[in-house]
Amino acid sequence: MSQRYVIVGGGIAGWSAAEQIRLGDPDAQITLFSEEHHRLYSRVLLPHIIKEKVPRERVFLKSETWVEEQNIEWLSGVGVISIDTKNQFVAAENGREYEYDKLLVVTGGNANTRPEQLRGMMYLQTLDDADHIMQLLKEADSSSIQAAVLGGGFIAMEFINIFHHFNIPQTIYLRGERFFSRCLDEESSAIIESRLSDENIPVYKNVDVEMLGENGNLTLIRSNGNEVETQLLGIGIGLDLNTHVLQDSGINVDDGIHVNARLQTNMPNVYAAGDVASYFDIYAGRNRRVGNWMNAQMQGRFVGKQMVKGTKEEFALVSSYATNVLGLEIIAIGDTDCGYADAVESIGSKKEGGKTQLFMKDGKLIGATLVNRNSDRAKLTNMIKSQEQKSVDEIKKELS
Amino acid sequence: MKITVKVDPDLCIGAASCVTIAPDTFALNDENKAWVLDHGEEPGGSTYERVLEVTEDEKDNIILAAQSCPTLAVFIYDESGEQIYPEM
Repeated sequence: MSQRYVIVGGGIAGWSAAEQIRLGDPDAQITLFSEEHHRLYSRVLLPHIIKEKVPRERVFLKSETWVEEQNIEWLSGVGVISIDTKNQFVAAENGREYEYDKLLVVTGGNANTRPEQLRGMMYLQTLDDADHIMQLLKEADSSSIQAAVLGGGFIAMEFINIFHHFNIPQTIYLRGERFFSRCLDEESSAIIESRLSDENIPVYKNVDVEMLGENGNLTLIRSNGNEVETQLLGIGIGLDLNTHVLQDSGINVDDGIHVNARLQTNMPNVYAAGDVASYFDIYAGRNRRVGNWMNAQMQGRFVGKQMVKGTKEEFALVSSYATNVLGLEIIAIGDTDCGYADAVESIGSKKEGGKTQLFMKDGKLIGATLVNRNSDRAKLTNMIKSQEQKSVDEIKKELS
Repeated sequence: MKITVKVDPDLCIGAASCVTIAPDTFALNDENKAWVLDHGEEPGGSTYERVLEVTEDEKDNIILAAQSCPTLAVFIYDESGEQIYPEM
């Protein structure tokens, strides 16, 4: 009898896994649940589409006929309600139950939202979000429009670039002290602030914001006593993981779905990958979550093979995030949690125009952040991969 | 066989997927964009486009690297100049 594979989640991890399962097992029954109606598309391309660098159709990574050709049962717009790991089935929103021999949970997360619901407030996670942004930009009266960005992470950088691209004046609101507050120190953040200051973009820090509107339209942002007229607001304030489906399933969930380096959960025949998975990172020596495209794609590919073949191979990737804001490059490689590292050392400075931070653990480099120091990237990635004991001085010498 | 590999620097965002999968063919430069290498070398200097002599396995891996690019910034053409990836 053919094996039944059920994949819960229609992002890049899920589609990549489905592809690998089909390659490894031509007879497999593959069911892919996707809450979104769109076939696989690149979330990373969304800013390019909004800025009209590429046409919207280019966002799709699979043809319309791909699922048929691959004989994959793709249930678009259908969510899963619960998972029964004892009897090995999932209950779906369409009222049906789907039995599995192997199950993959790749449910990712949803962008955190604000309580206010005013026209002009924008999120940037899905293709529908991008369509909404394009509509708002089209309708905006460019002579008088004022924009703002709430947040200081990767999505915030995209919004800053988008508003800048369309020559819309903007104000940035940070809930904390600095940009990328989980990994960058004050000086690294100051380099970003300085770049924004060059473009006369004000940054308000440590703010509680309140959005006010008229007739359902955003008109004003109030923060710590300031009021700024604003019609467009880009919001990037983190991700809310989709783990509700795991309630009562017996699958361990902590920071995310807890999996080992083979991406297996504690329950038999159940795997997890992508943004929602807290996987054992062999380079960092601990479980952690990584929320980026490359990681989700590589884990999807890995886990698809793993589900078919069940090898002892471990997932090994020094993942990295890269973005830029107004041409200034910001890169994070490996594990950049200063709370976990034994020591965080610096190379460069604001004065020198760029700064690298080295995250050390047990005498090894496990992560790095680079602000305007791209040339360190390849060497540092290789050092993390090598897992060799190295002093900070030795690392600095190799970089120079 | 020969293939042409081209990176559009305007689309490339330095996600480094190509570099991870095919490090002999792609390397990030100081602008965080991917140069195209010829089996780890840069004959004639750094460039975003090269004609490469590759084996079937090497070609498959370079296509995999291109497919992994989240901004579809890597283009591959066969000997007749036909675009192999992204599929038109």
